[in-house]
Amino acid sequence: MSKAQNSLFSEFTRQSKKGILVIYFNKLRALFKASWVVVLVLFTKISQLSTPKLLALGGFLLLCFLVLLCIAYWSYRNFKFKISEGHFILHKGIVKKTNIAVPFDRIQHINFKQNIIQQLIGVYQVDIETTGSTNTEITIKALRYNDAQALKKMLIDERKSEVVKTIKEEEKTFLKIPFSQLFKVAITENHVKSLLIFVALLFGFYQQARDVLERVNYKAALNDLVTTEQVQESFFSSFTNGLLLFLLTFLLLSVIAILSSIIRVFLFHFNLTAFLEKNVLEIQQGLLTKKKIALQKEKVQSITVSTNPLKKLLGISFVTFKQAVSGTKSQKGNKAIRLVGCKKYHIEQIHQFLFTSAQLVFGQTHQMHSYYKSRMYIRTLGVLVVINACLFLMFSGWLVIVTNLILLPLCMVFIQLKYQKTTMKMNNEVLLFTNGMLETHYTILPLFKVQYVRIKQSVFQKRKAVVDLVLETASGKITIPCIEEEKAKKIYNYTLYKVETNELAWM
Amino acid sequence: METTDFVNDSVLNLPEIAAVSFLSIDKKYKCVILLNILVVTVAVFLAIFGITRIDFNEFDIREYQWILYIVASTGILYTMLLLLYGFSKRKYAIREHDISYKSGVIFKAITTVPYVRIQHLEINQGPFSRFFKLATLNVYTAGDSSDDLEINGLLKTEALQIKEFISKKINE
Repeated sequence: MSKAQNSLFSEFTRQSKKGILVIYFNKLRALFKASWVVVLVLFTKISQLSTPKLLALGGFLLLCFLVLLCIAYWSYRNFKFKISEGHFILHKGIVKKTNIAVPFDRIQHINFKQNIIQQLIGVYQVDIETTGSTNTEITIKALRYNDAQALKKMLIDERKSEVVKTIKEEEKTFLKIPFSQLFKVAITENHVKSLLIFVALLFGFYQQARDVLERVNYKAALNDLVTTEQVQESFFSSFTNGLLLFLLTFLLLSVIAILSSIIRVFLFHFNLTAFLEKNVLEIQQGLLTKKKIALQKEKVQSITVSTNPLKKLLGISFVTFKQAVSGTKSQKGNKAIRLVGCKKYHIEQIHQFLFTSAQLVFGQTHQMHSYYKSRMYIRTLGVLVVINACLFLMFSGWLVIVTNLILLPLCMVFIQLKYQKTTMKMNNEVLLFTNGMLETHYTILPLFKVQYVRIKQSVFQKRKAVVDLVLETASGKITIPCIEEEKAKKIYNYTLYKVETNELAWM
Repeated sequence: METTDFVNDSVLNLPEIAAVSFLSIDKKYKCVILLNILVVTVAVFLAIFGITRIDFNEFDIREYQWILYIVASTGILYTMLLLLYGFSKRKYAIREHDISYKSGVIFKAITTVPYVRIQHLEINQGPFSRFFKLATLNVYTAGDSSDDLEINGLLKTEALQIKEFISKKINE
């Protein structure tokens, strides 16, 4: 550490002045998010408003913007931080003032982010994640790149002086995904999943809109909607039209699914670049919000390499890194980081980065017990019975028969695929668990990272002497379904032995 | 298929969880279970009683209230039998390096948490448990789910001893 950098944060420092702008736009966005339905309604009625009312509205809006600007300025003024005696100290707040002091060794990750405004004005957002049960996540909204880098170096490197040497090494670009490659990734995504995410998003918007509209009393408009729907219903009542409607819906849904895949991939993974250092994998990606994530080797709990038939054809797969989620902050959600568009040699490099070559030599592959297949059949049958009951109550006979003719073979194929793909391999250090249906995922878990182990057995499983084995890690669990009781017990005991005799840090 | 292929040359005999002698929880916890069931039963029946007094315009719910009562009674009776029968299945074991708990009748489960992975320990007492001087030991790890390990119906003094023992082990 040079003297200049040390003196940089030894006094209370404010963010870059551009931070006012960032805070301002954040507040504006929050305001818009809360009131977009009202704004929309107002806009549709704007022609009906009289001039004085229009002026009053304009004045009110101007006042809102001014108040927000003042709030932004004050939160910028009161947001001060410094580094002293191994602590990161932060003062913030306008009405409710908060003082936070975080010791360096509680700091877990430091991530850089840039949303579109931060990109335009050229500042970085620094997120400091800490461990422990107290909910302290610190966000510095606007720092110049040099300051951000300096801060990160001071916070991370000072506690690990031995790592400093290796970080000084020239970082090498390990993976860079150009536009065309990203397009390939997007086209081969799991479109059904994209569609579901999109629908969930729409549903959220719809609920918000409905809440407001109910208050504004939009019954008349809703009535219009209902009448047009009825007209359509009578129009499409005949058999051929019904089939046409079905096909059209299917086509429309497919287009939406593919489009949402493309949008999702480009939003999150645009301009993906990954750097590999000795202990850190740095990933930069994002279109509107540029994110820079530093993945520390020992914090990675498990990795999952996934591909599907289309991706396999193009020779690409994606890797999901699962990091430790600390303390009771499970509400923060999954700390999974996805690296898309990896070619075979990228995967090999990631393997080398995380594991020794001896750790990846496996013996024989184990299939699950055939009871697993029976259980899937029984469960699917249950679901099918419910679907049939619903169809029977709502639709005519031919639709029920057609649906079953399509669904039954499809389910059988899927169950067979899932059964065949579920396998596990093991060696002295590492468990490799493969699963999937159309997609194939294989998860590599070093046994000593396990938090606790559990064996579950139902009375039906007992008759076949099989159990479900659960290996819980700090970033989700791996459930090995229906393996032989004897085998499971051996793995259970061995995993415990591995965890209890291990000296390495699990995070 | 029959033989597992991981080699165990580093230790000759791996300590086996099945060979450990498990301890039962305190008999008095049965009373706590029964009291809990009583509270739930009273609450459910009061709720049904309340709902059937509501006046739904066209639908006379009182004609069907006996269905509700029967469904609720069977549910509660089933849970009670399961809990009472499963009482003897609730067992725990404390070893040199880990703590285990097993339970369940229809769905059995056994969980083992190594001390080195424990984040913190908690002792809780409900109102009924306090009366019988019983306590619940909660073991938390960094695992994702919150249901890491929970042992109900320990004697308060015993729970404190276990907590003390494990805390000492963690700090070693």
